[in-house]
Amino acid sequence: MRADLLRGHLDGLLLAVLADAPGHGYELSQRLTQRSGGELGVHEGSLYPALHRLERSGFVESAWSAEGRRRRRIYRLTATGRRAVQESRREWRAFSTAVDRVLG
Amino acid sequence: MSEVRTVDRYLCELGGALRVRGAARRRFLRECHDHLADAAAERGEEEAVRAFGPAVELAAAFDAEVAARRGVRSTFLAVAGVLATGASTLALIHAASAGSTGPASWAIAFFVAAQVAAVAAGLALVQALVLRRSTMPAAQMLLLARRNACALVAAGVTMFSAGAALPGHGSAMRLVAGPALVCVALVAVLRARSLARRLDGSGAPAVRPPLDDLRRLVSLPVPALGSRRLLTVTTGVAAAAAFLRDRVEHGSLGEAFVVGGIEATAVVGCFLVLGPALGLWRRS
Repeated sequence: MRADLLRGHLDGLLLAVLADAPGHGYELSQRLTQRSGGELGVHEGSLYPALHRLERSGFVESAWSAEGRRRRRIYRLTATGRRAVQESRREWRAFSTAVDRVLG
Repeated sequence: MSEVRTVDRYLCELGGALRVRGAARRRFLRECHDHLADAAAERGEEEAVRAFGPAVELAAAFDAEVAARRGVRSTFLAVAGVLATGASTLALIHAASAGSTGPASWAIAFFVAAQVAAVAAGLALVQALVLRRSTMPAAQMLLLARRNACALVAAGVTMFSAGAALPGHGSAMRLVAGPALVCVALVAVLRARSLARRLDGSGAPAVRPPLDDLRRLVSLPVPALGSRRLLTVTTGVAAAAAFLRDRVEHGSLGEAFVVGGIEATAVVGCFLVLGPALGLWRRS
């Protein structure tokens, strides 16, 4: 899928995969790949600026967590983030329905 | 061995491309390192680095994100600084010696600076609230920093003019609290501006109509006004408010007209002088 088609939707996609369970960046990229069947073609590194942006917006919070001998930054949705997921889904359904009608 | 060098080389390139410094940079590089280590263990380092994306693009996206975060935070700090300086100024006025009066020029400077501080802080706050949940171009971050800096400097001038116009003695704690917070906020604003300038070398001034931001923020039918109509409406409202205030304070009709005229002149003057810096209009 072309990267420019994804622009503006990455935040919503990240919120959706975080709605399943908290996780670190690599886990989230794997969930995105699995749930999209690998069709999105998003650069894995681009998740991090997006995650920091979601944190600034108050949709996500994060903290370091010890996992075995390694420390990882675990991201989780806030209450505002959960509401944003619902809103994002509603917006996407309205948008995709409209595009479907035009493209046929 | 060569795979280890691939990831290390990538992280070096990423670190070199990043312009942000400090804790945010360390955290970001740590997260990238962890991600690449996991991916390399599963797919090999060449594939892990390829899937991670070009280092320069990633660094630019992260720099922009940190700059936006600093811009929004410094705005909240600047607004707090302006409010605290307002409170300190009120404490200063209440502590003035009974019957003390100062030159009219200081009084005019006080009223003009207070209004500039309030307007600039309001513009910055509305802009920050609109942009806090989205990406922010570097030119907009620079505009935000200019609005914040203008608000803080004007708040300082307000307090200084009040002190010059009405000498007296008061609680040092109350009087110093506002200016101290202004200094802290100014450091945060300059830090945000410094990063934004590194991201936008052109430094081209941005224009951002305040009523457009207000409409997006409150979801109400706020009218769209061009810069000339905005100036006309603002001048009229400010002059009328100054006229009415003077009449309520038992000024004569003539005095009230003079006060209204001074207010209108000040609004037009500030709009012409500070308007481009505050993103209200652009010099052609």
